[in-house]
Amino acid sequence: MTLREKGTGFLHLAGWTAAALLAAALPAAAHPGHGSMSGFAAGVQHPLSGMDHLLAMIAVGLWGAFLGRPLIYVLPVVFPTMMVVGAVLGMFAVPLPPVQIGIALSVLMLGSCVALAISPPIWAACLVVALFAIFHGDAHGKELPSAADPVSYSAGFVLATGLLHVSGIALGSLTARPIGAITTRSFGGLIAIGGAWFLFRAIRT
Amino acid sequence: MRGAIAPSALLCAALGLALAFAPRNAWAPSVLALLSTVAALTFVAMPRAWLEGAFLGCWISVITTAGSVQLFAKVTSRAALILAINAGAWSSAVTGLSGSSLDLLKALPWVLILWPASWVARRHGQIPIKVVSSWLTAVAALSIALQLLPVTPGYLPDHME
Repeated sequence: MTLREKGTGFLHLAGWTAAALLAAALPAAAHPGHGSMSGFAAGVQHPLSGMDHLLAMIAVGLWGAFLGRPLIYVLPVVFPTMMVVGAVLGMFAVPLPPVQIGIALSVLMLGSCVALAISPPIWAACLVVALFAIFHGDAHGKELPSAADPVSYSAGFVLATGLLHVSGIALGSLTARPIGAITTRSFGGLIAIGGAWFLFRAIRT
Repeated sequence: MRGAIAPSALLCAALGLALAFAPRNAWAPSVLALLSTVAALTFVAMPRAWLEGAFLGCWISVITTAGSVQLFAKVTSRAALILAINAGAWSSAVTGLSGSSLDLLKALPWVLILWPASWVARRHGQIPIKVVSSWLTAVAALSIALQLLPVTPGYLPDHME
């Protein structure tokens, strides 16, 4: 068994576990009125409460799995790293292009990359993911300072983001199975359609 | 008050991940070095003015320790020992200065993540451990940014309180 197969095998298992855990958390996320943002639970809730964030994170994992080694693990490392940069920009209120449009574009572009089976060079894939991660980080970062326990909040949202990537990788690992590539690309297509809708809404408002 | 459990627990977890990449015969000396450092520094009184520096040092240590997992395929015995002493020093500094040395009892067991991490690395490759260590790096980097933030973080009273 190759290293890649070993890694994806574990991520596959972990991914389905993560997906189940995240699915279990969704009803709580949909429940309004929890008051101020604070602590680990609020951090976990944040990436799950917005469909645009959620789909983009899954798309990152899905695309990484589709592109294979080394991007299968490089993209999930690049995303949180650059998300931190975005969060810091958000905390310091550094002006960025409209964040909601950036986030919607990320869902559209990443979903399209999976749907169209686009295989760019490693640096280009990293650049695309890094750029979009900044927008997602900015949105998280703007809420972070008001969290009563910012460290736990950060840990929560980084963990939730990571688990969403792992879920995406698990979905992407279906590619190795018969008709798996079509299934994966269909997921990508659905994500891209969602992205187009988010973009339409973001531009309209 | 800022809790000292999170930074010290994450530092111990990062050390556990790093030890999973170290030779097995380095595990016991490293854990022993961690505990000895903690035990020695628990009785050292540090000035309260060092609190911010201690938190900053602890978060930088999380990044360094988790970074050693991301950047290298193996951690040497000597590096493991140095990381363990470093983790012990910063963990006891933050818990001691934040006035809750008992927090160490909750933080130190996180080093035991080395067993599952080592099992995962052996059976499934290093990828999952490297990904998890990048999460620790991200949390630490965010926490450092919060410490340097010009606005009032949530754990401090603002002008309304």
